[in-house]
Amino acid sequence: MKRSPLTLRVAVLTYVGLLIGLPLFFVFQQTFSRGFGVLWQALNDQQMDAAMILSAKVALVAVPLNVLFGVGTSLWIVRSPSRITAVLDRLIDIPLAISPIIVGLVLMLAYGQNGWFGQTFASWGWNIMFSYPGIVIASIFVSLPLVSRQVIPLLREVGTHAEETAATLGAGPWRIFFTITLRSITWATAYGVTLTLARVIGEYGAVLVVSGNIALVTQTLTLNIGANFDNFNNYQGFVGSAVLALSSIIILSMLSIARNRERKRHEYLA
Amino acid sequence: MSIWLKNISKTFGSDSVLTDVTQEIPEGSLTAMLGPSGSGKSTLLRIIAGLEKADSGLVEINGRDVSSVPVRGRNIGFCFQDYAPFNQLSVFDNIAYGLKVKKLSKAQIRQEVAELLALVRLDEYADRYPRQLSGGQRQRMALARALAIKPTVLLLDEPFAALDAQVGAEMRQWVRSLQHQLGITTILVTHNQSEAMEMADQLIILNEGRIVQAGTPAEVYESPKDEFVHSFLGPITTFEGTALRPHHLEFCDAGQGVGVEIVDVLHLGFEVRVTVKSSDGALTWVQLTHDEAQRKRFTNGDFATIRKRIS
Repeated sequence: MKRSPLTLRVAVLTYVGLLIGLPLFFVFQQTFSRGFGVLWQALNDQQMDAAMILSAKVALVAVPLNVLFGVGTSLWIVRSPSRITAVLDRLIDIPLAISPIIVGLVLMLAYGQNGWFGQTFASWGWNIMFSYPGIVIASIFVSLPLVSRQVIPLLREVGTHAEETAATLGAGPWRIFFTITLRSITWATAYGVTLTLARVIGEYGAVLVVSGNIALVTQTLTLNIGANFDNFNNYQGFVGSAVLALSSIIILSMLSIARNRERKRHEYLA
Repeated sequence: MSIWLKNISKTFGSDSVLTDVTQEIPEGSLTAMLGPSGSGKSTLLRIIAGLEKADSGLVEINGRDVSSVPVRGRNIGFCFQDYAPFNQLSVFDNIAYGLKVKKLSKAQIRQEVAELLALVRLDEYADRYPRQLSGGQRQRMALARALAIKPTVLLLDEPFAALDAQVGAEMRQWVRSLQHQLGITTILVTHNQSEAMEMADQLIILNEGRIVQAGTPAEVYESPKDEFVHSFLGPITTFEGTALRPHHLEFCDAGQGVGVEIVDVLHLGFEVRVTVKSSDGALTWVQLTHDEAQRKRFTNGDFATIRKRIS
């Protein structure tokens, strides 16, 4: 492989270093600056722990739902295209294109106590906004297309011949789905899952609006970090940031392992 | 098993793809459906397999109307042009797929797959994945996979189109002898006339969704029913205003035919094509064997006389 020019390498490394490396280093440096005793105490902060648990609970519901929705939508859009799916195909990109704060406000308008559906739900005793369901809905909304955007191009590429062949060999629709279709989109789906997961636990704007940001109750980890910095509780904020950064790094590593395995498969088998 | 296609019609939107197709495919034969792209031949194949539904008409296999039988109940072996390999499965598991659907015992599956691997000469490749195989090997895998279910009918959609010329030629011969050996009723779809002529017991020529002519390759070649079949099957040229095969012309002594000027001589190995121009400027080409051309020693600008061969 050809070596890139020195100036290019220096420029890229400086850019990445200043934007990503230095802040990341700073977060961890601050976190460990007061020794492990203080860090341990900070890690056991009641509010932060509650926030971490809430974030995990949200991801546990939002991610699987979006995987089901994403794979289902992809199959529908690719396998039986129609005017409806053409509209759907454009519609599911909207969450990525609009600002999360607007997502939050729109959800508030729809599901808030005085909102269109909110009133009905409230009359049944369900509160969507300022509670767990609202956070889940907002998280689903902002990460909606991340799975299908990975799966759709791959489904188009693999085509229908393998599935049709399986049918001629006697396989029924469910067997075809699990043995042929799903296996061909496994890695794309895994990639979509990691993107979704990273987006869900990192979301701030939309969740800020719909959750009400009540400590110990509706405060996710990102909101908790924001609150700590707002209250000049910087050290606790850095610890929360380090936890979030670390989980992001873990997710990204999972992602790169998934991609490598997929690429290896393709190179090895090509 | 014999196949009867009865009055099959199919339209996609406003495009009429097949119009009133009726044809018998005799038991144990290798039938080639030949036609230009867009002639409806692949759609007809898909209708026989059940992958597509005809708007009207029916498909009978061994006397039974299968129109309402779904794909998976038809027991038809189908091979796509791209071989449709199951890329996530090994060669062994590809071939075993249909046997697993049938819920055969593990030992039985192992034995049958081993036999099929031997039949298609892929013994060494059981543990490989499709992407590690060459085009010809992938095709043999697809054939073994289709044969595993002991199909009543084997359908091959442009099976050699994706192979390079030499491998394609080998595969044609091999598939031909395999078909003879197994005696399984086979339909092959192709746009390649020499492939169809070389392999088929029966030729079906399709054009614009209709069967133009059916018969043995020799019958169709020697007595083409219309201009389309004539031009589609083998070369034609025009001489004195009529279309004919270029090997039906010959050079003769002056005074016994029409005087022409040689404008081009093409050496294609055994075959030599001589293009000539008559006094009215019309171009005709004559097909000679290499030996015949050697004796004549034509060069451009020579004058010669041609006539129809007396047979």
